[in-house]
Amino acid sequence: MIPIEYFITFGIILFCIGAYGVMSKSSTIVVLMCIELMLNAANINFVAFSAFTGDVMGQVMVIMTISVAAAEVAVGIAIVLNAYKVRKTVSTEGLASMRW
Amino acid sequence: MDASMISDLFGEVTPIIPAVIMIVGALLTPALYYGLKRRDVVTAAAMVVIIASMVVNAILLSDDYAGTYSGIFEYNAFSGLMMLLFQIVASLTLFVSVSSTETTILHYGAFNSLMIISAVGMMFVAMSTDLVGIFVGVEAVSISSYALVTMKRADPRAAEAGVKYVIIGGMSTALTIYGISMIYGALGTLEISELAARLGSEGYTWTFVIGLITMVAGYGFKIAAVPFHMWAPDVYEGASTPVSILLAAGSKKMGLVVFFKVFMVMFVGAKVVSGLDIEAVQYIFAILAAFSMTVGNIVAIAQSNIKRMLAYSSIAQAGYILIAMAVMTDYALTGAMFHMFTHVFMKGGAFLIVGALVCVGIGEKITDYNGLAKRAPFLAFAMLVFLFSLAGIPPLAGFTSKFVLFSGAIFDEGPGGVMTQWIWLAFIAILNSAISLYYYVRVVKAMFIEKPVKGAPAGSIRIPRTFMAAIVVCLVMVVVLGIYPDLILGPCKDAADALLGAYL
Repeated sequence: MIPIEYFITFGIILFCIGAYGVMSKSSTIVVLMCIELMLNAANINFVAFSAFTGDVMGQVMVIMTISVAAAEVAVGIAIVLNAYKVRKTVSTEGLASMRW
Repeated sequence: MDASMISDLFGEVTPIIPAVIMIVGALLTPALYYGLKRRDVVTAAAMVVIIASMVVNAILLSDDYAGTYSGIFEYNAFSGLMMLLFQIVASLTLFVSVSSTETTILHYGAFNSLMIISAVGMMFVAMSTDLVGIFVGVEAVSISSYALVTMKRADPRAAEAGVKYVIIGGMSTALTIYGISMIYGALGTLEISELAARLGSEGYTWTFVIGLITMVAGYGFKIAAVPFHMWAPDVYEGASTPVSILLAAGSKKMGLVVFFKVFMVMFVGAKVVSGLDIEAVQYIFAILAAFSMTVGNIVAIAQSNIKRMLAYSSIAQAGYILIAMAVMTDYALTGAMFHMFTHVFMKGGAFLIVGALVCVGIGEKITDYNGLAKRAPFLAFAMLVFLFSLAGIPPLAGFTSKFVLFSGAIFDEGPGGVMTQWIWLAFIAILNSAISLYYYVRVVKAMFIEKPVKGAPAGSIRIPRTFMAAIVVCLVMVVVLGIYPDLILGPCKDAADALLGAYL
């Protein structure tokens, strides 16, 4: 059996890659993809903990997270498209007219 | 009518019936608008549904009804009171969005539906008994409010605010769910009622600490506490004013409900049951509260747009309410809930006046309000009352609720009577109230003393009737709650007992 530390470490690495992408990328589409990575890091944790403790609630939570992530990306892409229609740009530098 | 009649009628679904009634409304409004194409009919239908749900909830609450549905949702004094707050916010916003020129015409049915769904999400957060329900409820609110923010007519700022909100909201979702997964790993359960006992027996493991930090950060974004606040002013400015009210008065309160339901119950329970030392956690929340108050109030001074100024003031108000999270007593929690109620009316009222003036063509800059007292004496007076109430001038509601909230940090039920540990937090809060008076009075000065800019129209202003009615309701509540606080203080006390009663 693979020790649980491996799963948690994998989750942490995935989460950090996602967080780095959210903070550094300038295209909002890539930022949305990085958010998906962060959500999946949590999913790996849930499944690993659920399998190790034998409690099914973790797997229920994974189903919920997947559906929430799908809904969020659907709305997010629509909002980014709307921003492109109105402002003709989707980069984070272009969408910075409001500050402070 | 009393609670037994409702429970006879609906049987086992009685605990969630206020939310179910509202979901029916959410499904009905898009169909009505598609068929009839009339905004007033759709709003009337939505209002009927919300008021029906509010009446049912008020009857259950006044009869001290308590029950659970399938072990997932629980109705008690706390969830009932918080649901009433969310219903008040939803009815205020829906009522004014019919005549606002900022709200969408093309998708008005969907706009109504999304607004009701976000209110229902908040109600599910107040009711749910495990972290799964809380997570899904918070996401229902977030995802519908992303769409609501972007649904503003012809304003490039709304598009930008929507993108910012969806990215920061998605990031906060990811942080939250990662925190929940770590807490699930550390404590082995998602049931809120079991978290306290498990934490007491397990103690602080590194898994739990990582989970706690990421989860507090994730929900910190929802309540816009410093340093997680940077989205709030942009989104409040970009969104149409009814949506700003929903976010400032509703969505923020939902985050605070999560803080009370999950963290306060967990730590107070662990302390009482197994003597866990929670002082470090209390200091985390105290620092969060102190920073939110101070940064919110100081940055608000520099704002020239009134919606941004109200947004920063809203961040500061969240800081005041977070005092209860630092002190973690029954009395402080009562004060926090009381302040949540008065904040709805005073911040909602101030935003309503801004929204009404936008409808008649007055801008959002503070200089646009110069000489307003001559053109609209009643509106200027109402704005003065709301702003003075936010600053905490007696005898208005803001003073009474701040008095109860701040004395929660000082008053101790023990023999000494004074809690020396948190007195500095009360001191910072009072100092901040004094700072906040500066930028509130600036608006009052613009309205009553400054001369209007040259070339501005001078005739009297007629705002839409729905806005007028909503402003009058808020004004009456601000004055009544200031003079007669027992109206809501009693239910707040019951709610605090329902939440923490098992550990007192």
